Amino acid sequence: MAGICLAQTGDMVPPEVRRVGDRLACLCGSCNNTVATCQMVGCHYTAPARQRLSEMHKSGVSDDAIVADFVKREGKKALAAPPTEGFGWTAYLATPLMALAGVGFLTWYLRRSRRKAVAAQAEETIDVEKYQKAAERELSRFDE
Amino acid sequence: MENIGALAIMLAFCLSIYSVAASLVGAWKKKPFLIASGERAVVAVWALIMLATGILLYALVTSDFRFAYVAAHSNRDMPWYYKVSSWWGGQEGSLLLWNFVLVWYAFVVVIQNRKRHRAMMPYVVATLMATQVFFLTLNTFPASPFQMLAQGQNIVEVQDGNGLNPLLQYWTMLIHPPILYMGYVGFVVPFAFAMGSLITRQPGDQWIFTTRRWAIVTWIFQSTGVLLGAGWAYAVLGWGGYWGWDPVENVSFLPWLTSTAYLHSVMMQEKKGMMKIWNIVLVASTFFLCIFGTFMTRSGIVASVHAFASSNIGNYFLVFLVLGIALTIYMILGRLDYLKSEAELESVVSRESSFLFNNLILLASCFAILWGTLFPVISEAVTGEKVSVDAPWFNRVNIPIGLFLLFLTGVGPLLSWRRASAAGLKRNFQWPFIGMVVFMAGLFAMGVHHPYALMTFGLCLFVTWTIAQEFYKGTSAIAKKESMGFLPAVVELTHRNTRRYGGYLVHMGVVIMFIGFAGAAFNKDSTVEAEQGKTFQLGRYDLKVTGVKSGQTDNYVWQSATVEVAVGGKPYVTLEPERRIYSQSQQPVGAVKILRKWNEDLYINFAAMSSEAQKPIIQTYIFPLVSWIWVGYWVLLAGSLVCLVPSKVKLSYARTEVVGMAGKHEKVAK
Repeated sequence: MAGICLAQTGDMVPPEVRRVGDRLACLCGSCNNTVATCQMVGCHYTAPARQRLSEMHKSGVSDDAIVADFVKREGKKALAAPPTEGFGWTAYLATPLMALAGVGFLTWYLRRSRRKAVAAQAEETIDVEKYQKAAERELSRFDE
Repeated sequence: MENIGALAIMLAFCLSIYSVAASLVGAWKKKPFLIASGERAVVAVWALIMLATGILLYALVTSDFRFAYVAAHSNRDMPWYYKVSSWWGGQEGSLLLWNFVLVWYAFVVVIQNRKRHRAMMPYVVATLMATQVFFLTLNTFPASPFQMLAQGQNIVEVQDGNGLNPLLQYWTMLIHPPILYMGYVGFVVPFAFAMGSLITRQPGDQWIFTTRRWAIVTWIFQSTGVLLGAGWAYAVLGWGGYWGWDPVENVSFLPWLTSTAYLHSVMMQEKKGMMKIWNIVLVASTFFLCIFGTFMTRSGIVASVHAFASSNIGNYFLVFLVLGIALTIYMILGRLDYLKSEAELESVVSRESSFLFNNLILLASCFAILWGTLFPVISEAVTGEKVSVDAPWFNRVNIPIGLFLLFLTGVGPLLSWRRASAAGLKRNFQWPFIGMVVFMAGLFAMGVHHPYALMTFGLCLFVTWTIAQEFYKGTSAIAKKESMGFLPAVVELTHRNTRRYGGYLVHMGVVIMFIGFAGAAFNKDSTVEAEQGKTFQLGRYDLKVTGVKSGQTDNYVWQSATVEVAVGGKPYVTLEPERRIYSQSQQPVGAVKILRKWNEDLYINFAAMSSEAQKPIIQTYIFPLVSWIWVGYWVLLAGSLVCLVPSKVKLSYARTEVVGMAGKHEKVAK
């Protein structure tokens, strides 16, 4: 399987477009892809975006500055994922927090269950001891 | 004829209301004739919806453009089967499909339970018909499929219809929507029985046993529907994406996640009498997520390439959702005493705990997808600024969740009920774990460095090993005891406990699908303006466009490129991808050609002719292992069908009642 996966050549999209484009959303309105992955030939958003991205890269603009330029022009929706600032953090934190809350609930539930189980077992043990003593008393009467 | 259709829908609407009222009043006043009348009303509603559907289908097939719906969603030259599929190509028709599927389910439930569950049935019927009332409201008032164009009243006669969206003119679209709807709508049945059970405080887990098969069957439809949608996207949209985290795709996946969680947690209730509240919550969540999915598709609150039928009926859905959820919460809170567990968990390392973790992970995934889908809307409401949540975000969040779930798929079934011993864990997991580590090291040494792909391949081996181990152990024991051959012993083993071994097959299907998903890490693509006779390369393939042809059918004009593919200098295959422009919609659509193989797909799309040089623009893709996704589905389907076969041996499971129910046992008098 690995052999199959490795038997490929490099792709045709320039690496800088692949790298920076992955951080930018395609805003054509009919796909959910990024500027790097949009496959629509002549896409009215991605095609000029790729061209601008390449030109900025050639003129020595850093990746972060290219992304910042897109955000300045289009707003935060130009980013493929919510920005890691302000309310944008909730996009990243909500799921782990919910999962943590779930784990917390499960831990509480498991502990409570085990406590109940131990208590019930102890109660059962006391009962058994009680019956055993009663049985021994009865049996001892027969012996008498 | 059109008036009969509209009248049938209107009468069905009235009779559905009557059915709800008669069932509830009959149960309340203990009037059997009213209960029976409510059930018969279901049969009448069924007949009326069949009539209405028949009329719409007849109008579609005969291209009766007096019907606004027919004119908007079909045209004369479409093949008859696409005329039939126009039924669900637009808003009004797809809502009629909801009603059609729902009333079939209600009809079967009523017929099946003529003599069973008599105390519960009025409430089951009321729940089913209340849902029917909602969907018939839509078809009666805001979205009637029987609206007529005022032809002959100084309005030009419609010569031909607009035609069906060309993207929907593909064979999977003939079955994808009905099957997905059968999965969506089908969960109303377990939900209705759960409500019936809650209202009547049925002793025991009757509703669970009654609806077990329903839940599995509707889960099969959901899985099939989602996979057909993925197959359609792969073959039609032109870039080979079978899953793009589009909002509509996402909302179709949410009920699948909760229903999968339910199919696991319900075993805890069947075998141990635990998780009763949780199971009701999962069934209700699945049902309401199905409604929510339809709401998202129709309301237009999120933009989607799949929202073929968005409109302003979202508010109706919102009201139904709010009322339904509020009523369900009220019912559950009012019956908490009836939903108490009959047993308690004894150990963290047990089958019971693994089910809990499985549920947690499935719901975490469900929450993540829901959150990501709604985040642009929520963010805009809070900050006033739009943000995008695209595929990379969903992948980042869901891939780790998926991998953990895959891990649990291998671990869970091998843990014993109540409490797993250290010796048992070692015996079951030592070799699969070592095998996984060695395999991953080997792959890494061979150059597979993509972390997620590496982990996926490793975990797939781990799960496969544990499943094979389970089959081998059971089969060997039977083969030895019954003096059977290995294969008959496998069949015998599976037949003895179909749900367990069918479940393992389903897990195996999921493993195979994950192998297919992991292949995406190695996708390759190229887009070239191909010069005729000149070779271009992708991977090990040399491709050459040798000609461009064109032609016309009744429905569209087409242009195809002849692409000769060679491997290692030797001719391999000739593919002819097409692009079509449909006559009525004037919408260009690609008809890709795919060379499907077990190890990779070669996928060629004739995207366009370049405007200046008039050369064909050819997009070529290599999708490693993608066929494994479809093979995985067939294994999953086979496993699910095995689960539906009654087991040869009726197993009874010891409930740990002494532990959990100690307080309920009568004390011995002192």
